[in-house]
Amino acid sequence: MTYALLLALAAAASFRIVPLACTGDRLAVAGAGVLRLADGVSCAAFVPGRATAIALDADGRATPQKLTQDALPAAKIPRTAFLLAPAAEQNVDESQLVTSTIDVFVPPRTPPGDDVYISTERSGWSPSEVRMDRVDARHFRLTLKLHRGARVAFRVTRGSFGNTERDAARALPPAHVALGEPDAHVTVNVAAWADID
Amino acid sequence: MAVRLGVTPSRRLVAAIAVTVCAAAFPCAASARASATLDGGSVVFFADTLALFARDGATLALADGTRAHADAAYLDLKTDRAVLAGHATAAHGAANLAADAIVVEIDTNRVDVLDAANGTVTQTTHALGAAQPAAFDAQRFAFPEVEDRGAFIRSKHAVIVPHADVRFTPAAFPTSVGGFPVPSYLYTFSTGAGFASSSLSGATFDQPYGLWGSPHSLTALHARWEDGPGAALALQQQIVSGDDAFAAASFDAPLHGYTVRGFNGYRRLGSRYTAIADATGTIFGTVMHGGFTAAFGPAGGRVDYTRTSGGLSTFDAALRTPDRPLIGGATWRLKGDIGFDSLRGGLLNQLPDRRRYATVWRHGLDFSVATPVVHVPLGATLSTTLDAQRTWYAFPHHFDTFGGTAFLTKPFSRKVTLFAGYQGTWSADVFPGTQALFYPSPSTPVLTPDGTPYYGYAAFTGARTFRSQNVDLQVTPDASTSYRLTVVHTADFPQFNGYGRPQWEVRGDVRFRPFPNIGLDVGRAYDFAWGGTRWVPRWSFAVTP
Repeated sequence: MTYALLLALAAAASFRIVPLACTGDRLAVAGAGVLRLADGVSCAAFVPGRATAIALDADGRATPQKLTQDALPAAKIPRTAFLLAPAAEQNVDESQLVTSTIDVFVPPRTPPGDDVYISTERSGWSPSEVRMDRVDARHFRLTLKLHRGARVAFRVTRGSFGNTERDAARALPPAHVALGEPDAHVTVNVAAWADID
Repeated sequence: MAVRLGVTPSRRLVAAIAVTVCAAAFPCAASARASATLDGGSVVFFADTLALFARDGATLALADGTRAHADAAYLDLKTDRAVLAGHATAAHGAANLAADAIVVEIDTNRVDVLDAANGTVTQTTHALGAAQPAAFDAQRFAFPEVEDRGAFIRSKHAVIVPHADVRFTPAAFPTSVGGFPVPSYLYTFSTGAGFASSSLSGATFDQPYGLWGSPHSLTALHARWEDGPGAALALQQQIVSGDDAFAAASFDAPLHGYTVRGFNGYRRLGSRYTAIADATGTIFGTVMHGGFTAAFGPAGGRVDYTRTSGGLSTFDAALRTPDRPLIGGATWRLKGDIGFDSLRGGLLNQLPDRRRYATVWRHGLDFSVATPVVHVPLGATLSTTLDAQRTWYAFPHHFDTFGGTAFLTKPFSRKVTLFAGYQGTWSADVFPGTQALFYPSPSTPVLTPDGTPYYGYAAFTGARTFRSQNVDLQVTPDASTSYRLTVVHTADFPQFNGYGRPQWEVRGDVRFRPFPNIGLDVGRAYDFAWGGTRWVPRWSFAVTP
């Protein structure tokens, strides 16, 4: 497919970008590259660090647009439109909330009436930060809404530091990590508790 | 039970404040030198992505004297990389540069400079010396798109210690109905296991407030609500070495009640062994404990020694088998232990020659079986455990325990699940030939807390029963919301009108997220018709990011 055809196809869409800077007729796009502005477009239309939308004309020149939900990510901008080589990876939209699911399986001798919690750095490692939902006697689940790109370290407890999870050697394990990616999922098998065995 | 010390609450409050002031004047933790500060017309922080955004004029200042300014800045605490966007300038001593965007690596000596007009990228150092042409790596110039209103903290000034913490001055926790402001807030993002440690006792509510921090230490004030004493202020010092070791010391000062001093230490010794030590001190005395655990493949053992300032000491050495397959997925496990109890002046007060029994050795066996979670009719699942223990003493005495649990789960839909549980424990404290000496019939009736005589207690001769049944209904309409209603009934012996566990308890828990960045978990429990009261309400409360 020719560059001209690619640009012609792109002209029908708007792209969601985060401007890094705008000077003269050059627009630096975060995580992407440097585009040219269309004739008559002023840099005043772009605020560095604030998401906005652009459309491309047949020459690959950018014009600001109203930001809409259907705007394509910056990664979809054709490479041919860039003056400076773009990256293949897209800029992360950290305003997007994604669900990350944590499944915890507890050992058989866990007291059946006890709740299970996750503890994260977000609360200063409060041992009863978020109570998990019970699935069955030995299976608990929690679905977190995280910003895309998040990386949340967590540990599993039964509500206090005295009953935090331990590994098979009864040592404190490293923190587990829940990722802010679409439909991310992490499974934790608790080997032992600090107060049992 | 709260103990009055003859100190007025106001004095207690003054003492708590004095502790705080002293701690502020003499911090136990050496605060690590800040590597960077970020200022802006607004600075917002997202806890889950560990991202800082400064807008309306952003200034980044490094400890080595490098300063950078731009229209906006993004600082990724996971990678210690700052992106300054729009009319960016940087200066270090007499050297300076201007560009469209600048990337500053805080923890390494690298600066990337983007000139959009010329379409060039150059690389230099914090000293801003001669720049070298560099390949354009667009990901280094990534500036994520965020909604500032979803931030966890809003501020104007952030002081960053890489891999450790960030302090915001001032700080506000924004909600849709306004922000909750504090003069300063220290957010620690080190993940070392010791930062999750505590030497404080459990509390209904515990909100830490970091005072000073470093990659290896944290001094924090804790606002607490404790069962019994109520409101309390505590100070805790943690010293941490990654996931391998920690020491935590605390001073807990309830506004009404006695102070509690605590210590908790842990050290991992290779891949198989750990050493632990803890201590608690109150007006009633001090309890100290040391322990050692060992893993032998899937089996293991532990040694514990506890000593109180009252002269009581206990020692226990235990070995356990791994869980071994039985039938149908069930497993069994055997644990054996040996140890002693020792008390100056003798342990067995009931005997005329009790001084002969200052130290009494014991040994025990514990056999348990656990079934897997199995499917049963009506779409439910069931799991059970059985446990039998006997402890023999170096005196005509043994103690037997037999217990069992069963837990049934019945999901009605993806969002509604019913749970039913049964737990029973039967124990017998047996003194062959001398049972009546150790469990004599009371000459006068035992009185319950409201003064009601408990005549049935006369039947208690060392055999106890604990039985409880519970039913829980859990509804989870969405990821952030959970409702749970629990009814618990107990049938124990001895148990009567305030003596022992309440017979009926109803509990409700709600977890929800009223604001995008703040969640609440509120619980309310009632004990019914117990100890002469119609009901006894209890709250539990937790704030989650």
